[in-house]
Amino acid sequence: MVGFEHATPGILCMVLFALGLLLFELQRTSRGHKHFIRRIPGIDAVEDAIGSCAEMGRSVVFTTALTDVGPVLYACLGVLHSVAKRTAGYKLKLVVPQYSPEAMAIVEDSVRDAYNDAGRGAAFDPQSIVFLSSEQFAFASGYMGLVHREKAGAAFLFGVFAAEALVLAEAGQQVGAKQVAASVSPEQVAFFICTCDYTLIGEELFGASAYLSREPVQVATLAAQDRLKLLFAVLIALGVACATAKELVPGLAMPEIASFFSADWSIFAWK
Amino acid sequence: MEVRQAADRRAQIIRLFTLLGGVYFFAYFLLPESAIEAIGLKERQEPISNGFIAIGAMAIGLGLLNLVSAHGSRLAFRKKGWVYSLALLSGLFSMIVVTALQWRQSLGATAELRKIQVVSDFAQRISQDAEGQKPAPPLSTRIEALQRYASEQLSALDVGALSPGTSDSPLRGELRQSAQALREKISVAPAESGEALTPPTKEWLEAVAKAGSKLGAALSAYQRELASGTTVQQLYSLLYEGVFTQLGAAMFALLGVYIASAAFRAFRIRTVESALMMTAALVVMLGQISLGRMVSDQLPELRQWLLEVPNSAAFRAIRLGAAVAGLMLAIRMWLSIESRSFSSRKK
Repeated sequence: MVGFEHATPGILCMVLFALGLLLFELQRTSRGHKHFIRRIPGIDAVEDAIGSCAEMGRSVVFTTALTDVGPVLYACLGVLHSVAKRTAGYKLKLVVPQYSPEAMAIVEDSVRDAYNDAGRGAAFDPQSIVFLSSEQFAFASGYMGLVHREKAGAAFLFGVFAAEALVLAEAGQQVGAKQVAASVSPEQVAFFICTCDYTLIGEELFGASAYLSREPVQVATLAAQDRLKLLFAVLIALGVACATAKELVPGLAMPEIASFFSADWSIFAWK
Repeated sequence: MEVRQAADRRAQIIRLFTLLGGVYFFAYFLLPESAIEAIGLKERQEPISNGFIAIGAMAIGLGLLNLVSAHGSRLAFRKKGWVYSLALLSGLFSMIVVTALQWRQSLGATAELRKIQVVSDFAQRISQDAEGQKPAPPLSTRIEALQRYASEQLSALDVGALSPGTSDSPLRGELRQSAQALREKISVAPAESGEALTPPTKEWLEAVAKAGSKLGAALSAYQRELASGTTVQQLYSLLYEGVFTQLGAAMFALLGVYIASAAFRAFRIRTVESALMMTAALVVMLGQISLGRMVSDQLPELRQWLLEVPNSAAFRAIRLGAAVAGLMLAIRMWLSIESRSFSSRKK
């Protein structure tokens, strides 16, 4: 585990900068600053899908698929909390199939909180959080069976997916469920675009819970990550400009942007 | 009120552990090896990793409990779909029983194998310690101990796996040869075995380590051959390789059908975007097969360009966006800056 080539002082500076940015945005938000969040049709579709389930009396399925405990799971929990609160409000059945036993405990807590927030804590059924399997295709077959048996009206696929993505999405398609998918796995995005009604791509997954809940902490995080992305975009543009200028004018002294991040601890002569 | 206070205390403990865990992993990720050794983090790595494995193992028990309670109640009350629950629970318990039996059966073999592997590890350790000038008993004493230990293990092997009564097989022949090779190595003492590690001693230790390792591999293969004939192993193979792996493969094969059905839906040209997608997919698919070259020589190059330029650009943009968002969320988790719904402030 020791000796990552990217574990450098430059990375430490970047993390500290990100931390500063987050604290700054949190303070700004706490002072009442309102951040603008653009409309994302895929997230609006979450509410529509739950609404149509309420009309048809069908159940809602939410899966975090192969997502393990980590930032992506927490991003998914924000959306799950909103979905669970709404399903509790509409008295709909919510089923959350699980792949990771570690994540299951956290997911159960989040859904229970959502039911409490909706004022329907007594209606929470721990058996709605179903552990299927920690094996990829065993989980996929379990999910397929569950979606078919429940005749789900809406299926939300949020998180990390691999080869089973299409199997899961097709199961929902077969029962005519309205599906919204969000994945940080770019390889699976194409499958979701083909099969689901709406697909959130990459970072939109992280923005979804802020969009749905409008909670200050989540909105501030979203603002901070946008600022950091802007900085990266500027750095990339600068790097490209410097490299191009160096190619066009031989001998021109240009700064090496990448060297800031790649320089290791030896610059401090650490023994 | 007391319940609320207890919940708050619990939340504080969780936050503290999250913070300390974050500090540890961040330091371990960031600092160079020399600094990690200097502050004593390296030696604590193994117990901490074991702690995480233990937590993971407990979580598996949680999953198991969930499965048994969900499907057990469905079976007990004969709810809709109870037959599927029966199939699942039967599969679960038969796999647990057979795996436990197999584990019990392999305990003796594992211990025997470990003793042989120690010969190789011991030889390597002597060499490393002498080279690193680490505090250890005199070199000659350690070499004598190695010779004695290896001889004892070889004698044990002679009355065990290599005893005359056991049936012969090519793997047993290989085991006998490997044992003989090690016996020859340890019988020839190094030219000089003083306190300093001389090149001939180092060479001898390397040869003993290699022969020990080869004997370990031969014994492992022979043990596997012996075990494959037992009922427990056959049952395990039937359940794991015959049923579980095959079912997984069948699910994976379903992907082929689903890709076709998804492609059929996606490639119906209704908008400019779907037309673009259809064209790109056609170029990539044709560029992948030899027929593509018959259509145009440029097609494979065009396919390569599509994958390496626009496709890679989109992938990198998605990955960068997700990584930055993940970093922010990770910092928030680390410092426990959470919204009310995520915290453990229960009502």
